[in-house]
Amino acid sequence: MNVDLTDLRTELSRDPGGPTADLIAAEMADAHAATSARPASALVADSVSAWFGSRKVLERVSLAMRPNEVTALIGPSGCGKSTFLRILNRMHELVPSASLSGTVTLDGVDIYGPQLRVTETRLKIGMVFQKPNPFPTMSIEENVLSGLKLSGSKSTIDKRQLVESSLRRAGLWEEVKTRLNALGGALSGGQQQRLCIARALAVSPDVLLMDEPCSALDPMSTRIIEETMRELVQQVTIVIVTHNMQQAARVSDQCAFFLVEKMEEPGRVVEAGATAQLFGSPRDQRTADYIQGRFG
Amino acid sequence: MIEMEDRTTTHPEPREPEDPPTRTRQFQLVDGAEIVGAAVSAAALTWLLFSAVAWNGAFGAVLIWYVAFIVIYRSIAQAVHGHLVATDRVMTVVLATGASLAFIPLVMIIIFVVTKGLKYLNIAFFTDTLESVGPQDKGGGAFHSIVGTLEQVGLAAAVAIPLAIMTAIYLNEVKGPMARGVRFVIDSMSGLPSIVAGLFVYSFWVVELGKGFSGFAGSMALIVLFIPTVTRASEEMLRIVPDSLREASLALGAPQWKTVLRVVLPNAKSGLISAAILGTARAIGETAPMVLTVLGSSALNWNVFDKNQDDLPLFILKLIRSPNDAQIARAWTGALVLVMLVLVLFTLARVLGRDRRKADR
Repeated sequence: MNVDLTDLRTELSRDPGGPTADLIAAEMADAHAATSARPASALVADSVSAWFGSRKVLERVSLAMRPNEVTALIGPSGCGKSTFLRILNRMHELVPSASLSGTVTLDGVDIYGPQLRVTETRLKIGMVFQKPNPFPTMSIEENVLSGLKLSGSKSTIDKRQLVESSLRRAGLWEEVKTRLNALGGALSGGQQQRLCIARALAVSPDVLLMDEPCSALDPMSTRIIEETMRELVQQVTIVIVTHNMQQAARVSDQCAFFLVEKMEEPGRVVEAGATAQLFGSPRDQRTADYIQGRFG
Repeated sequence: MIEMEDRTTTHPEPREPEDPPTRTRQFQLVDGAEIVGAAVSAAALTWLLFSAVAWNGAFGAVLIWYVAFIVIYRSIAQAVHGHLVATDRVMTVVLATGASLAFIPLVMIIIFVVTKGLKYLNIAFFTDTLESVGPQDKGGGAFHSIVGTLEQVGLAAAVAIPLAIMTAIYLNEVKGPMARGVRFVIDSMSGLPSIVAGLFVYSFWVVELGKGFSGFAGSMALIVLFIPTVTRASEEMLRIVPDSLREASLALGAPQWKTVLRVVLPNAKSGLISAAILGTARAIGETAPMVLTVLGSSALNWNVFDKNQDDLPLFILKLIRSPNDAQIARAWTGALVLVMLVLVLFTLARVLGRDRRKADR
C-alpha cells in the first residue's frame, strides 16, 4: 500500500528540486507532529439512491472510499457526482425536497443512524466547496478557528499552534503568516480556497470532501492545492469531485466514473477502480470514451 | 436617383475631414447651444401664443413652454445628429427634468424649515418647556416634547426592533411551518394606516382598560407600525447573505442557531442596523396615532407610563394652529429639530452600518 502510493507519486513526478519542495517537507513534518500519524477512516456507501422531489438523480451507488487514499468522482455535468458527495456528509438533506435511500458508514458507523448527530457527522467529514467561501466578516485566523467555535468543540491544542499547523497543511502559512488579522476576503481566489481547506482541517476531520475545489482557480493555485491533497492524504481520507481528467489522474488513487445514460435517467457508477487501471485500461467502453474526451 | 439614395443613407457630415472619434452620448459646447436655442425659441413661441390668444397663468405657460421646448429640441437634434442621437438626447432631457422635479420639493422643504425654524433655535428651546410661558414671552421651548419623543420612540424601538429581527430570522432562516401565515400578516400590517393603529390602542388600552393617555400607549401604537417595516427590511438583508456561507458553516458541524448567530447575523449586520434606524426615523414623525394615545401637554412629564405626555409632532401640530406668530415660529423650530433628529439617525445608520474593518487593512 505504501509502496503503491510512493510509486504513484513518483509517477506523477512533481519537480523535486522546485522552490516549494523544502517548504513542503517542512510542512509535512509539522503536519505529522500535529496529528501524530492518526490512521485515516474508511467511508463506505452502500446502494445509495437519491431524489429531488420525485426526480431520481442517483441509482444504487456503492463505493468504498479507502483510508489514506484520494478517491476521485468523475463524469459529465449533471450525473450526480456532487449530489453523491453531499450525501456523504449529510449536506444533501439541506435541500427541502431531497431524499435518499441506502447507507453510508464511517468506520462501520452509519452516519445517518442514531449513533451520530448530524453535526458530529459533519465535524468528522469536512467539506471544501467549489467556490471559495471564507467568512467575510472574520479574519484569516478567525476563519481557521471558526470550525471550533461553530461546532462548539473544545480544542486541547494551543489556538496559535492550531492556526499555524492548519495553514501549513493547507499550504498557505508562508503567504499569510504576517497578516493573520486581515480579512479572509482580502486574499486571492486560490488563497481563499486554501484558507477554506485550512478551516476544514482545523477541526481535524477524518474525511475531507472536495467539490471541484480547483474549478475557479488558476493553474498555479490548482497545482498547490493538488500538492496539498497529496500531503493531506497521509492523515485524512479524501474524496474529490472533478471535471478535470488530468487532475483526477494526477491526484487520485481510486476513481469512480458517474454517468447518466439517457436523459431523465438517474446517474449511475459505470466503472470504479484504481486510477491507473481506469485510465490505463478501462473495462467499459463508455469510460474509455469519456476519458479520451469523446463526449462530456 | 443615385443622388437621392445617397442623401438618405449619408450620415451627418463630420465636422473635420478625418474621422473624429465620436460617442453617442458625448456632450459638447454645441450641444449646450442647441438646448439653449431650443429653450429660447420655445419661450418666444409661448410668448407669441399667450399674447395672441390672451391666455394667462404661469403654470400653463410653463407647461406649454416645456412641450414646445421638447418638440423643438427634438427636431434640432434630429436635423443635426440623426434619429438615434435625437431620441437619446430627448430622453436624457426628459429624465433629467423628472429627477430635478423630484428634487425641488425636497430642497424647498429643507430651506423652508431651516429659514423659518432658525428664529427660536436657541439653548432655551432645548431646556425650557411651554409651561407658564406666555405666547409673547421670551424663551419657552420643546424640552418636554423632546423628552417625550425620545422616550416614546426609544421604548417602541427597544421592543419592536428585536421582535422584528427575530421575525425576519424566523421567516428567512428557520422557514418554519407558520412562515407563510406570518409573512401574510406582516405584509398586511405594513399597509395599515397609522391612524388605525392609534385608534386600536385608544379604544382598547386608553378607554376599554381605562389606562388613560400615556407615552406608553403611544409606544404601543408605534410598535404596531414599527414591526412590519423593520421585519420586511431585515428579511431583505438576511436574504442577500449568500447561501454558500450558511453551507460552509453547517459543513463545519455548526448547529443552525450558531450558523445564524455567528455567520448570518454578522454578515447582515450593517443592513440590519440600517433597517432598524430607518424604521425608527419613520416612527419619530408619526403624528396621527399620537393624538389619540399620548394626547400632548405643555408641561414636562418624565414618566412615560403615566399621564399624557408631549412629543415633537404634537408640539408642532398644536403650535402651528395657534393664532400667534411667536407660537407658529416655535412650531417651525420644532419641525427643524425633528428634521435634525432624523438626520442624526440617518447619519448614525451610515456610520454604524459601515464595516469597521475594510477588506484590506
